[in-house]
Amino acid sequence: MASSLRHLAKAAVLVASGALMLSACGSSSSTTSSTAKNTPLQTLTIGSSNVFPPTLNPTANASQAIDEVIDYNVLQHLVQLAPNGSIVPVLASSYTVSDANKVYTFTIRKGVKFSNGNPLTPADVVFSMKRVYAPGSTYPYGKIFDVASVRQLGTDQVQVTLTTPSWNWLYDLAAYSNGVILDPSTISTMATDPVGTGPFKVTGEVSNYSVTLARNNQYWGYKPHVSGVVFRYFSNADSLNAALESGQVNMIDNLSAPSDATLFKSNPKYKVVSSLTNGKVQLTLNNAYGPLRNKLVRQAILYATDRKAIMDAASGGYGLIDGTDSVPADPYYIDLASEYPYNVTKAKQLMAKAGYAKGFSLQLVLPPYFYAKLAAPLIVSELSAINIKVSVSTIDFPLWISQVFEGGNFQATIIDQAEGRDVSNYGTTGYYWHYAQTPQVAAELAAANAAPTKAEWIAGYQKVLKQITGDAVNDWLYIAPFITVIDKNIVGIPTTAYTESYNLSYVGIGGTIPASAKQLGYLS
Amino acid sequence: MQVADLSTPSVVARRPSGQPHELRRFLLRRILTLLVTLWLASVLVFLVLNILPGKPAQVILGTQATPSSVAALTAKLGLNRPLVDQYLHWIHGLVTLNLGNSYISAQPIAPVIGAALEVTGPLVLAGLVVGLLIAIPLGIASALRHTRRSGIVLSGIAQIGIAIPNFVLGILLIIVFAVDLKVLPASGFTTWSTSVTGALQSLVLPAVALGLVEGAILARYIRASIIEVLRADYLRTARAKGLRPNQALIRHGLRNASIPVLTVFGLELSGLIIGAVVIEAVFTLPGLGSLLLSSVANRDLITVQDIVMLVATTVLVVNTIVDILYRVIDPRMGLRS
Repeated sequence: MASSLRHLAKAAVLVASGALMLSACGSSSSTTSSTAKNTPLQTLTIGSSNVFPPTLNPTANASQAIDEVIDYNVLQHLVQLAPNGSIVPVLASSYTVSDANKVYTFTIRKGVKFSNGNPLTPADVVFSMKRVYAPGSTYPYGKIFDVASVRQLGTDQVQVTLTTPSWNWLYDLAAYSNGVILDPSTISTMATDPVGTGPFKVTGEVSNYSVTLARNNQYWGYKPHVSGVVFRYFSNADSLNAALESGQVNMIDNLSAPSDATLFKSNPKYKVVSSLTNGKVQLTLNNAYGPLRNKLVRQAILYATDRKAIMDAASGGYGLIDGTDSVPADPYYIDLASEYPYNVTKAKQLMAKAGYAKGFSLQLVLPPYFYAKLAAPLIVSELSAINIKVSVSTIDFPLWISQVFEGGNFQATIIDQAEGRDVSNYGTTGYYWHYAQTPQVAAELAAANAAPTKAEWIAGYQKVLKQITGDAVNDWLYIAPFITVIDKNIVGIPTTAYTESYNLSYVGIGGTIPASAKQLGYLS
Repeated sequence: MQVADLSTPSVVARRPSGQPHELRRFLLRRILTLLVTLWLASVLVFLVLNILPGKPAQVILGTQATPSSVAALTAKLGLNRPLVDQYLHWIHGLVTLNLGNSYISAQPIAPVIGAALEVTGPLVLAGLVVGLLIAIPLGIASALRHTRRSGIVLSGIAQIGIAIPNFVLGILLIIVFAVDLKVLPASGFTTWSTSVTGALQSLVLPAVALGLVEGAILARYIRASIIEVLRADYLRTARAKGLRPNQALIRHGLRNASIPVLTVFGLELSGLIIGAVVIEAVFTLPGLGSLLLSSVANRDLITVQDIVMLVATTVLVVNTIVDILYRVIDPRMGLRS
């Protein structure tokens, strides 16, 4: 070899050994309980499969990634949802509902401070609630806009009057981040530093990488057993799993793919906690498209779908099949899974009766989510058994919103309808699946909301659920699961996923949680 | 008898007397071409992104937003103005180095891009170094041995390197070095301000995954170009003069061999930047690639526009420099485009 090449080779060896030396000096630093230190509080690092929060201001953007970090943890509401589904008073120490669910009077909790030291006052509550429906408001979701007036009563009360009575309004106030209470002096910096009354405060973020929270030492309630929380974001399921296995994160709050749970289930170092969400993974049918206008055709599709096989394939068997637009957390929940059992013969009969024995072609457009990709092949083969020839295409989510959701320009799609208590979509004219009976449903829901007793309200909603299932508006496949994997010593995580927030109010590394928290649905 | 002057690789052409003028005109022409290309790129980028369906305001506020909120936000973002207005406003910002504010977070874009460059810049550079460290010895060795079995083996190794997708390599490296051996982090980036050692550790595996493939590609070019040089007449003459084979190659051949390699170098840079987007996703590095992908997904059009123009400018400037260097190294090319 020429001397110059020998020099090159030597240089290469030097660089390689340099790299190895670098790697030897201290392995990755962000792990946790393995080193026995005397400091009792540690940082909890959560690996999240969510997208990076586009902003930290939940009132400017509907992305659930923002609520996961900020809602309930940094910013709080007057009332919030506990993991067990009950509505609990938080910044309101108590409340009364009057005038047939039209007027809500909240007593504001005393002694509460924002993390910057400012005291919480009823004026702050009035300011925050008015901001939602003010003219020119750009609050997302469209929830709790139906307010006629908000005013302070006396020294410690706020009274809200709705435009129409609603059995759902208190739930909306608790569940959606439109209900957050803000410190008016901190509005201008909310995108990077939202200041709230919650158990944590934001101390930093690295764009597209992590958001860091520290425990709020001004917090009025139970102090979580951690010094802080870091949310780290992974766009790749393998990287996320590897991060947990190599100790870079303490837990994964929601596995990208439920079937990955098998990687961790038999490992004694971890615990796998599975729960349900508000999400209804469904095969949405455009009720205005040709053959799908016929109820018999839609019913045939529901009979031809083997939902259990689809849930096994798309969701690793996790989830729940209940055949309608409702989840167990809903007060009006009803299980209609037995309405359309898997029965190909019956499906063929219905197709023939509708005049489609020869079948027809159907375009299935998919958003780029794993459940859609995994469910689609099964849908294709199951519908081919009744002569429906399905062709599949995939588009990105903003395009799905504009083409399918806004434009209604589709024949069938698979989507996770993730909003809670969204039966009202079936009464909204022009909602993208173009159900023919929306005026009738709207009237029934309005009547139910005006009902004098809760039982009648529940009965009214259940009647609507039975109707939409009877009409086979959509093919409700399964309720989407939420699979959390934690290091064995973590406590206090929520055991359900019915909120947009990832509620860290009782979280701890080691230790125990109060019995009252366990009753509310936190992991002990 | 006139002896050929072997200190330059070819017969020296007679240079015309107006040489400095020619050079200046050439440089001016190249820079003008660069500017026009940049402008065309900006128009293309803007048109493509703003014709895409999917309004930012609806994506931001979600499927349950009230129509009046969507309209209010669209107006607030200035997205209901005519396209020409929006384009001119954006270009004016770029030229005055004001990259604007994100549609999604309303925060200035420049610091975010700056932070991302702290990751991607060193990553691409490290990838280039890794690539060169592999390509140069591999390319030269396989060229010198191209008639022998060992040369074929080396050439085969380069071929395998080209065939492996860089993300597969990345995941394999993570499994071996991070999960099994636990000597390097599986993912993530320790910022330079927190720990320089940590930052370097975070970049080792990504740089290898990124550079190995590019290095294999470059090795093939180097091999081909050296083989061509080995067959050249002037090299045989240098051998006849008494130089040993390797001396002849180094003194006379490498300068010629470097010309096609320099051209490929410009393309390599684009390949590395594109590869960085994938590698950043595999290793969850908060670099320019991740920023670009998430901005596209969020329909944060202005950030996408800014990043694409930044990358386009970098690639075009590098290629212009390469083009100029080309003509400096090899006067045979002349100064006409």
